[in-house]
Amino acid sequence: MQHSPGHLFITFTFIGLSGFGGVLPWARRTLVEQKKWLSAQEFNALLGVCQLVPGPNIVNLAVCVGQRFGGLRGAIAAVAGLMLAPMTVVILLALLYDHYGQFEQVQGMLRGISAVGVGLIAATGFKMLKEELSYLPMLIVIAISIVMATVFHFALGWVVTITLPLALLFAWNKAK
Amino acid sequence: MIGLLGLFIKLSLFSLIAFGGVNALLPTLYDISVNQEKWIDADTFIHYFAIAQAAPGPNLLTVTLIGWNAFGLAGALLATLAVCWPSCILIFYLQRVLANLQHIRWKKTIEYSAGALAVGLVLASAWQIAERINGNAMAYALTVFSIVFVLVSRKHPLYLIGLGALLGLLGFV
Repeated sequence: MQHSPGHLFITFTFIGLSGFGGVLPWARRTLVEQKKWLSAQEFNALLGVCQLVPGPNIVNLAVCVGQRFGGLRGAIAAVAGLMLAPMTVVILLALLYDHYGQFEQVQGMLRGISAVGVGLIAATGFKMLKEELSYLPMLIVIAISIVMATVFHFALGWVVTITLPLALLFAWNKAK
Repeated sequence: MIGLLGLFIKLSLFSLIAFGGVNALLPTLYDISVNQEKWIDADTFIHYFAIAQAAPGPNLLTVTLIGWNAFGLAGALLATLAVCWPSCILIFYLQRVLANLQHIRWKKTIEYSAGALAVGLVLASAWQIAERINGNAMAYALTVFSIVFVLVSRKHPLYLIGLGALLGLLGFV
C-alpha cells in the first residue's frame, strides 16, 4: 500500500495538531484505530525501532511511517506535516504568554492540561502493554526497564543497553 | 550568526544522545540552555515547557521555544531542525536495513524486543514526567483519572483536556 506525500502531510498535520500533551497517543489512535494503516503489533514494533535511535521518537515514527507508505518524499512530507502547524501554534502561544503568562489562572490551566497529558502518555503505554500479554516472559523485561528508569534513575541509554540482551533472548523464543 | 550556529550544533549533539526522546533528557536540556549557554532563564524554561506540553504537537516544541527565546524566528526554526535531523537520518537507514532483512526469525526477534523496550520506555517516561510536573495530589488524581478514562471510555480525549484546563483554571491543580 502506498500513499501520496500530500495525503501523508495532511494525515500527520492532523496527528500533530490533535497531539495535546504528547503526540504518541494520537498517532496510535489515528494510524492503528482509525485509518488501520498499521496493526497494533506493527505499531509497537515500529515504535520500538524508533526508540532504539536517539532523538524525538515521534519524529522518528513519522519518518518510518512516511517512508513505508511513500518513500523518501513520504518521509519528508510526514515530518513536515507533523511539525509545521504545531510550531506555528506554539510560537503564537509564546507570544500570548508574553502578555498573559503572569496570571495565576493561566498557569493553573497549563498545569491541569499537563496532568491530563501525562495520563494520555501513560494510557498509550498500557494499551501497548496489552499486546505484550501474548508472551508473558517479556513482562519481566518491561518491569526491569521501568524500575531502572524510575526508581533508580538510570539514563535511558543504560536502560536499553542492560535490558536489550534479555529482550533479544525472550524475543528469539517468542518468534519461534 | 555565530550564536545561531552554536545553537544548531549544540542541539544537534544533544539530539544524538537523547535516547528515549527529548523529555527523557529534560534535565540535560535544562543544563545546556540555562546554565551553559544562557539561551533562556530558569523560570521561562519551566513555563515554556508547560506551554509545549499543553499545546498540540510533539513535546520537542520545548526546544523550538528555547530557540525562539534566544534568536527569534530563525532560532525557533534552527533549533527544531537541529533536534530532528540526526535521528531522521539514522532511522531512515535503520528501517531500510530491517526491511531488507531476509531471515524471518531474526527480523521478528528484533521487532519483538524493540516493541517490549518501547512499552517499558513509554511507561517509565510517563512516570518521570508526572514526577516533574504534577505538583499536588489533585494533579496525580487527574492523571490517574485520564488513564482510566482513555482505557475504559471511547470518548474523544479532548474532553479530558477541557476538564484539565477547567480544574486548573478553578485553582484545583
